[in-house]
Amino acid sequence: MICGQLVMVGYTNLHRSVALMIASLLVGLAQLAVAADPVADAIDFESAVQPILQRACLRCHGPEKQKADFRVDLRQSALHGGESYAPNIVPGKGDESPLIKFISGTGDLVMPPEGDRLTAAEISTLRLWIDQGAKWPDALAGEVKDKRDWWSLRPLPTADSIKLRNVRRPSIDAFIQDKLEASNLKLVPEATRLSLIRRVYFDLIGLPPTPEEVQAFVADPATNAYELLVDRLLDSPRFGERWARHWIDAAHFAETHGNDQDRIRENAWPYRDYLIQSLNADKPYARFVQEQVAGDVLFPDDPQATIALGFLAAGPWDESSLRDIREDTLDRQIARYLDRDDMIANVINNVTSLTVQCARCHDHKFDPISQADYYALQAVFSGVERANRAYDPDPAVGVKRRNLTVRRGQLQQKGPTLLAELLAPAIQEQVADWERRLGSQGAVWRPLDPESFLSSDGATLTKLSDGSVLSGGTRPERDTITIIAPITLPKVTAVKLEVLTDDSLPHRGPGRQDNGNLHLSEFEIFVDGSDVPLALVNPRADFDQQDWGIARAIDKVEPTAWGIYPQVGRTHAAVFELREPLVSTAATKLKIVLKQRHGGGHLIGRARLMISDAAPPVRLDVLPEPIAAILATSSEQRSDQQRIDLALFQQTEDVERQISQLPIPSRVYSAAADFEPDGGLRPPPGPRPIHVLHRGDINHPRDAAVPGTLGCVVGLKSRFEINATAPESERRAALARWLTDSQNALTWRSIVNRVWHHHFGRGLVGTLNDFGHMGEVPTHPELLDWLAIEFRDQGQSLKQLHRIIVTSATYRQTASVNPEAAVADPDNRLLSRMNRTRLDAECVRDAVLQVSGRLNLRMGGPSDRQFDLQPGIHVTPKVDYTKFNLDSDLGRRRSIYRFLFRTLPDPFMETLDCPSGDQITPTRTNSVTVQQALALWNDVFIARHCEHIASRIQNESAANQLRQQVARASALILCRTATEAELDALVAYAEKHGLANACRLLLNSNEFLFVN
Amino acid sequence: MSTPAINVGTPRRDFLSSIAGGFGSVALANLLGQTQSLADQPRPEFNGGLHHPAKVRRVIQLFMNGGASQMDLFDYKPELFRRAGEKFDPGTSERVEAATSAPGNVLKPPFELHQKGQCGRWISDLLPHLGNHVDDMAFLMAMKSRTNVHGPGSYLMNTGFLLPGFPSLGAWVSYGLGSLTDNLPTFVVLPDARGLPYNQKGNFASGFLPVTHQGTIINSSQAEPIADLKAPASATFITLDADRDGLALLQQMNRTHLAANDHDSRLEARIRSYELAAKMQLSAPEAFDVTRESEATQKSYGLDEKPTEDFGKRCLLARRLIERGVRFVQVWSGAGGPSNNWDNHNSIVKELAPMCQATDKPIAALLMDLKQRGLLEDTLVLWNTEFGRMPFSQGSEGRDHNGGSFVGWMVGAGVKGGTSYGESDPWAWRAVRDVTTNYDFHATVLHLLGIDHERLSMKNNGANRRLTDVHGHVVHAVLA
Repeated sequence: MICGQLVMVGYTNLHRSVALMIASLLVGLAQLAVAADPVADAIDFESAVQPILQRACLRCHGPEKQKADFRVDLRQSALHGGESYAPNIVPGKGDESPLIKFISGTGDLVMPPEGDRLTAAEISTLRLWIDQGAKWPDALAGEVKDKRDWWSLRPLPTADSIKLRNVRRPSIDAFIQDKLEASNLKLVPEATRLSLIRRVYFDLIGLPPTPEEVQAFVADPATNAYELLVDRLLDSPRFGERWARHWIDAAHFAETHGNDQDRIRENAWPYRDYLIQSLNADKPYARFVQEQVAGDVLFPDDPQATIALGFLAAGPWDESSLRDIREDTLDRQIARYLDRDDMIANVINNVTSLTVQCARCHDHKFDPISQADYYALQAVFSGVERANRAYDPDPAVGVKRRNLTVRRGQLQQKGPTLLAELLAPAIQEQVADWERRLGSQGAVWRPLDPESFLSSDGATLTKLSDGSVLSGGTRPERDTITIIAPITLPKVTAVKLEVLTDDSLPHRGPGRQDNGNLHLSEFEIFVDGSDVPLALVNPRADFDQQDWGIARAIDKVEPTAWGIYPQVGRTHAAVFELREPLVSTAATKLKIVLKQRHGGGHLIGRARLMISDAAPPVRLDVLPEPIAAILATSSEQRSDQQRIDLALFQQTEDVERQISQLPIPSRVYSAAADFEPDGGLRPPPGPRPIHVLHRGDINHPRDAAVPGTLGCVVGLKSRFEINATAPESERRAALARWLTDSQNALTWRSIVNRVWHHHFGRGLVGTLNDFGHMGEVPTHPELLDWLAIEFRDQGQSLKQLHRIIVTSATYRQTASVNPEAAVADPDNRLLSRMNRTRLDAECVRDAVLQVSGRLNLRMGGPSDRQFDLQPGIHVTPKVDYTKFNLDSDLGRRRSIYRFLFRTLPDPFMETLDCPSGDQITPTRTNSVTVQQALALWNDVFIARHCEHIASRIQNESAANQLRQQVARASALILCRTATEAELDALVAYAEKHGLANACRLLLNSNEFLFVN
Repeated sequence: MSTPAINVGTPRRDFLSSIAGGFGSVALANLLGQTQSLADQPRPEFNGGLHHPAKVRRVIQLFMNGGASQMDLFDYKPELFRRAGEKFDPGTSERVEAATSAPGNVLKPPFELHQKGQCGRWISDLLPHLGNHVDDMAFLMAMKSRTNVHGPGSYLMNTGFLLPGFPSLGAWVSYGLGSLTDNLPTFVVLPDARGLPYNQKGNFASGFLPVTHQGTIINSSQAEPIADLKAPASATFITLDADRDGLALLQQMNRTHLAANDHDSRLEARIRSYELAAKMQLSAPEAFDVTRESEATQKSYGLDEKPTEDFGKRCLLARRLIERGVRFVQVWSGAGGPSNNWDNHNSIVKELAPMCQATDKPIAALLMDLKQRGLLEDTLVLWNTEFGRMPFSQGSEGRDHNGGSFVGWMVGAGVKGGTSYGESDPWAWRAVRDVTTNYDFHATVLHLLGIDHERLSMKNNGANRRLTDVHGHVVHAVLA
């Protein structure tokens, strides 16, 4: 379905409206007569009908607003449009037309809802007009314009077809000069080398040049000294650290969830390192995009390509709604749609510069993006959640794990080929080997069959067919369950407690607490009416909640207990050995007491007990009874089915053992279909069904959506042909291919414009993430297209793109305003000079560190937490930036390695406009505020580093050489030699107040904070 | 390094600020974010309003973090007493569900409600002091949220969107109207001493508006209530003299630099920002010092009693700030997390009562104080929460979240006291008549400030964003 490709241009001409309103008054009077006569002459649309519609309806159903997707200024919409009642006009049937019902107050709605109602005469005019067939002349149908006829959606031209007025060979400067000349302007002279080196250093690597680097460059006699400098900077690992941050802003990456449960994402940082490495390696852009959308499936043997999926999960996540509240609530469903909305926006806004999220509630008002397109994108991401995804940093291990996982899948599916294979000699030989090695370890867990079970506090207990006891009914605060069962083994060495899932339990249990948890305070076993419990030793569980280990269930201290959170929704088991094996007779009975005295309804939802006679130490995973039974049969006497069952068991155990022996996989917080369940967050069963939501409302699902993308890119299919049973990753792979198709002009224009913005402070298109009708149009469309084509066709090297930009004469101009340009081009849209830019937060902080001599250039790894971290009242930890020890090693690395706490960002960085990661931020604001002045003047980071800078300089120079020291401070901070007059003033100040205070002035100076 | 030469506001202002040369204070104030950045300017003939005459010039918002229980406090429902203990059956087809628990039986309010004032407003016995002010209050009795979860719910009530990253009410007001004083921040937030609310700073962020519009946090319980107002104690090299002489030399250096750099307006704005910072350094400590108030005043706010001390101090501080020209003060009751706030899952008796005790007297004192000083003539006081609670029990005596119906009230300039607008069903489960939303509430507050909510917008990522999204109707019924 392709919708919304037509934009309709109605009559908005003011004079015309006024004229029509006057006409309507006159006609209104005339209609009084007409209304009285049902067989009147044909109603004329233009003179009689249109004026009424214009007066009464146009305000909400016209060019300004299109309430309910209905407008009366366009024939197409008036006759066919409308969300809930279309068609609102039924030709020939005035009384049946919803429009007539609404204006006459006899329908579901009353129109207009505010202001004067239509007169009886007006109503009958409209009714009659409809009765007569609702004839609407073509000439007044309203202009219909194809929304796809728009600069950003047009295919990229061929390089040859881009025309320039005066030059033969296209280049950045040629395009810029072309436009300047048209305004009688020209490029201003090249900036001094002093300006140039500071500009290009901050721009490419985000650090200032050292005084020595400045000196060397200024003195370099080579004519290509600048080009060589640019090459050095692009080769520097600092380059990736600088430019990764621009992508992080756009991707709204941070390392906590945000929202009310702002939990730390311990494994988010690998994505940041991926960005730095990819940019330093100059990965071709198509690959860079593909990896971040579907790297796991497109490049399965490259671990970096899986880490890249951190992009999809970079934004905030609503833990309360997506993990903790009940699965069966509408809030959960709403949150899932909103969560995917964030992924969609992250991909489409940042890669194609279209604002697709506007189509969540209705077809995009301005751009050719239909609601169906939007929900097709929802379907692309319907099989993933945000979670910690396992990956193997060593590709060889990755391959091995993948093969083993495939094998495990085959063993689980038990297909005919596999079953045949299991009987083959090769496998049977392995089974025999295994059986020999197994020796006497085979043991049985035998379920107890409860003959009585009792809740002390009023829960309703039910015995299920597998011998388990399910707790239901009223959920008491606390409970003690007593189970009595006969013993069916002659000897008992251990008892196993299984806590099982059940659909009746919150989060499927196994506990009854709202979050699925349970707390077992004490586990006690009595024999045959004895009131002395058996001594239990060596307790083990398959999982222990932190600080709620299984040993607490037999420590005879009621307030302590065993718990399983957050691993809810899964079966767990605990084993207790009897200190003295119990020898029993057929009449022996066990009484097992499960004390659950913690309170708050932390109760076991479903429990099953088993006993074993295996020799200690008894493993949790001793052989199940059927396998033990097969082993008890001599191998010659086993049936084929038994051989198969045994082989299946052995092969499965073997695969599991091999998997468990692989190095522990690393984890990255990313989009994932398969991951360790965490509370109520569980891997989706497959792609979830997605529906087009009428008005974005979860209560009004309409058509089922199929995976796909936007229909507005000419030449590319908008719906993916993917089998419904295919894994979800196929959907993302299809989207990744669409995004990076050479015909997708949006992608290529978007990236070159983004890079341009970060060099000039303004894109060729000012709205980086909106190339739609609401965005700006390019100032230099030919240049944009030429850059896009060159970039796309010449290896998609971002470094090459940077190189041609920063070596252009346009970039190398001075930042001084020339008088003619100030008048002809006040905003410098034509680039008749370089823009003066303010240092961003990272540049300020990194420069201060470098100047102080404390900058540690160690790359990568977990982020530096530059705050004191304490457990919070609930999930969100307590973060205090003022308690951070600035002198510690965690305070010395580049800002890209800071830990990014979403709901509580570093206040110093925030005053310098560093975004929090709540929103996609393609461009930063660059504010000048009182808070910023206070921060630079008084913040402890600046104050402490003034002391570090001063002591560095004092250590490096002879004592009592204050003038040289001040000069050195100026050279380090301002990247130039101070004048004698400047030195006089600063030295006089430093003599009185010390060198550190002089450094404080320099760091607060406009010259430091701005780059010419 | 991503600064366009000109970065703020409209074409007109771009033009103003881009021409080399001296500038009027308007352009500078705009660059400093002191006044708003719209084509619309506050107009004297509108009493400082943007689009029509303003009744209100400043706002104190009291925010009850966690979802204050409507039926236990204000929304009296005899049905809950009659059917107490029965299975909850609203008699409609709508599915009964709760966010974090299985629905329990009907739970009657454990504390009695009585009618107070001329208007006969029902109010809980837990709020004896507030009961004396009901004739000044206008109640929205049937507010409805789009969610039953704290994070999105708090965002919605504060920013108009379920998702993070949008500007809060206070930020929009700061952006729209600017400041009334140079000496103090425009939008101030006073969090509970126990911690920040759900979403932490997200609830008072500036979103995509310039960062200067975000709420400035004042931790009244700490030695340094506001960040960076003075040099850190650890920096002993920064003496008062070094500060004074340094600022003078810095400004001189910056002026020389300005002259050599095209008189770029942003450079000039930075020079001005240091002058304003110096003014704030002088004024703020006095404003924050509630001990300058008389003992009687301090006592009336409950500063002498443990349960009311923290909230009382912040209410008193709010009045001092408003008095000195702060535009918008948000006072929070309760921190994030499962306890010590209005999120009473476990026990209404044990958890709601202390919250009422902590806030009842201070709020009443604030209303009285504002009135006596004539501040209510142009000040609006808001009492809000993110959603309500369920008519049925969670566990034995708590209540789960309920976005279906909740209550908020307002007092002050332009407000018709003693009114109640809207009605919930017999259970206070769902809002059913004259239902209002966060959009309506925000539209109404902006309306009182002289702002048409449909015209206060900012373009961001392809859409003209408003506090009220694409919704909102001014609730004229509660306006005088």
